[in-house]
Amino acid sequence: MKYTHLILKNILRNKRRTLLTLSSLVVSLFLMITLATILTEFTRGSKEANPLRLITRHSVSLAFPLPVAYEQRIAAVPGVKHVTPFSWFGGIYKDEKNFFANFAVDPRIMREVSPEIKMPDAQWQAFINDRQGAIVGQKLVALYGFSLGQRITLKSPIYTAEMEFIVRGIYTGGDGKTLYFSHEYLNESLPAWAKDKVGTFFMMANTPADIPRISQALDSMFLNTDAPTKTESEREFAQSFETMMGSVKQFMYGIMAAITFSLLLVMANTMAMSVRERTREVGTLKALGFQRGTIAWLFVGESLLVATFGAALGIGIALAVFRSLDLSLYIPNFISFVPTPETLAVAFALALFVGVASVIYSASRVSRMTIAEALRSTE
Amino acid sequence: MALPIKYNLRNLTVRKGTTLATASTIGLTVMVYLMVMSLARGIDLTLASSGEPLNLIVLRQGSTAELNSDVSRERLNALMYLDGVAREGDQPLAAPEAITLIYRARKGMSQGSNITIRGIGPMSAKLRSGFKLAAGRMFQPGLAEAIVSRRIAERFQGMEIGDKFRIQATDYTVVGLFDAGGKAFESEIWVDVNLLGSTMKRDSFTSVLLRVPDRAQMAALEKRISDDQRLQLKAVSERKFYEDQQGTASGLLKGLGIFISFIMAVGAGFAGMNTMYAAVARRTTEVGTLRVLGFSRRSILAAFVLESIFIAVIGVGIGILLALPLNFVSTGTSNFTNFSEIAFNFRVTPDLMLSALIFGAGIGLFGSLLPSLRAARFKIVDALRAS
Repeated sequence: MKYTHLILKNILRNKRRTLLTLSSLVVSLFLMITLATILTEFTRGSKEANPLRLITRHSVSLAFPLPVAYEQRIAAVPGVKHVTPFSWFGGIYKDEKNFFANFAVDPRIMREVSPEIKMPDAQWQAFINDRQGAIVGQKLVALYGFSLGQRITLKSPIYTAEMEFIVRGIYTGGDGKTLYFSHEYLNESLPAWAKDKVGTFFMMANTPADIPRISQALDSMFLNTDAPTKTESEREFAQSFETMMGSVKQFMYGIMAAITFSLLLVMANTMAMSVRERTREVGTLKALGFQRGTIAWLFVGESLLVATFGAALGIGIALAVFRSLDLSLYIPNFISFVPTPETLAVAFALALFVGVASVIYSASRVSRMTIAEALRSTE
Repeated sequence: MALPIKYNLRNLTVRKGTTLATASTIGLTVMVYLMVMSLARGIDLTLASSGEPLNLIVLRQGSTAELNSDVSRERLNALMYLDGVAREGDQPLAAPEAITLIYRARKGMSQGSNITIRGIGPMSAKLRSGFKLAAGRMFQPGLAEAIVSRRIAERFQGMEIGDKFRIQATDYTVVGLFDAGGKAFESEIWVDVNLLGSTMKRDSFTSVLLRVPDRAQMAALEKRISDDQRLQLKAVSERKFYEDQQGTASGLLKGLGIFISFIMAVGAGFAGMNTMYAAVARRTTEVGTLRVLGFSRRSILAAFVLESIFIAVIGVGIGILLALPLNFVSTGTSNFTNFSEIAFNFRVTPDLMLSALIFGAGIGLFGSLLPSLRAARFKIVDALRAS
């Protein structure tokens, strides 16, 4: 460590170059962190699924509804603790641009089936008591200024129905961007052809071990009916949505690999230029008795220090930006847009790797030169 | 007086490693730009080519997608014999259709996606150019048979000829594979519309496709259907119907693409600046000599800017070469209209390559301006005295 001062001097020798390299490093890391955060959010649904939750839907696809009468039969299956209808309404608030999810559920069961949703007891009670009641997430409040007691009209193109709700609760947790209302109210409001149908059922099992048994019991119970079911754990259900989007993961990894490689080239090029310009100095150092290893380490240390500083800056900027600007408000399904500690750790490790990998060739080349060769250099 | 181009080109070869590293940085930026943009372009082109110019699609008023539309049998009869519907012999070129979704696992995975199943009428295939059976035979009307687009058969499990799939209580057998000239239908399964209706216990259709004899009659028929209060339907040109679906998926991708490539470009620009500053520093004496020989400040500036742009153009070349093989890659994602699979190819089109060239050259220009200005501002004496 006694050479730290020398390394620092070297870094500051060409301030403009160091600044440009740093900037390149910072923007690349910021971009990597952003993309990694998108990827994390994309798979959060399956990673953070509640291990007790199950979802059943029509076995052909979500476009087919299930009869509402299934609720009683599902509730009787051993191991099922709670069950609620969970139907996509597809309601639009004022304009198509204001997209947010809205589901019809059983307000009495909602609290048991979605423990991640937090709301004061009084609001849960108000939601249960008011047939027209709805609860909205904190992020919807931030986006549209909803308040308790406010009347909200949603128009659903699926049913060509318009329904009016009264906000009875504002919850935190969950994705914070979903409106829930009573399935009974939905059923009363729909035309005859759409009545008594449910999109999916959400269930809570007594123990995680019950899940496979429940799935099998349900699916075989309804196998030979008009509406056979497919029952999955929440994790599997979420995975099926992630797979729907196709090869998003591979695509993002491809882009991140390109960014890393590009960053490696930028750093390698800078370090190569610095090393080359200092070839004669290396000759002098050698003549003074510096060992080959020490000389190589001077360069590796320089690159590593720049990388560390750039990584810290990139991570700091990304944290500052995404903490103050919550992008999850605007992206459906995203719960948060703050990079996870893992993402930051990986970004940091990557920067260090780039720092070392980019200088190895130049450093070993120049440190292996003889004194005469180095001193004779015309750079 | 401008410096000869040869001067620039020679300089590029003096520091081959540096030139290549800088060019590759720009190349990777261009590659990522093309990757994302060609994906968006693939979706756009698939949807844009899907609508026939002379077809009208009739949906329920207020519905935003086929999946939530409904057209009854009586309305179909009213529509078929409207003035302005083209005929073949005495048969109107009109096709009732119904769609639904079936969830299937992708090949090699336990999870998959929704595939659109389209019940088609006798005229449907005629109303869609590009439709061609690739293997097997057409389904027989009234039988529980299906034809599957080749792309779906390639991407999903159990969709080859002879395989069966179940909708409600009916098992459909795959009897043929078809191509649809890269259109959206290439992501579908086709069955007999009447049979699908009875399978689903639904006595109505989701849409009706109508052919008009010529462009001139299109608007009139469109207006006539949409304005008829008794019908409660709306008619849209099929072309517009598909073009309107482009928005969500490809818009998101384009936004992401511009964001990523802009940030990468800034990074690459800084790297380019480093290279050019080094080049200027190395050639300080040379610049002094050139000035003595009578080259103006402006031609020095131009020479360095040009050199940087040359490097960028090499980079664009690398980027395009890296991205071109994507043209052979076919992929699929869920569309946001019906939440069903849409298969398409990456499309690295000439205009995308041109925009990549402009984008890359722009990075070169951005990276070179400051260093070149510095070179142009050297005083002759100082420059010559530099060691």
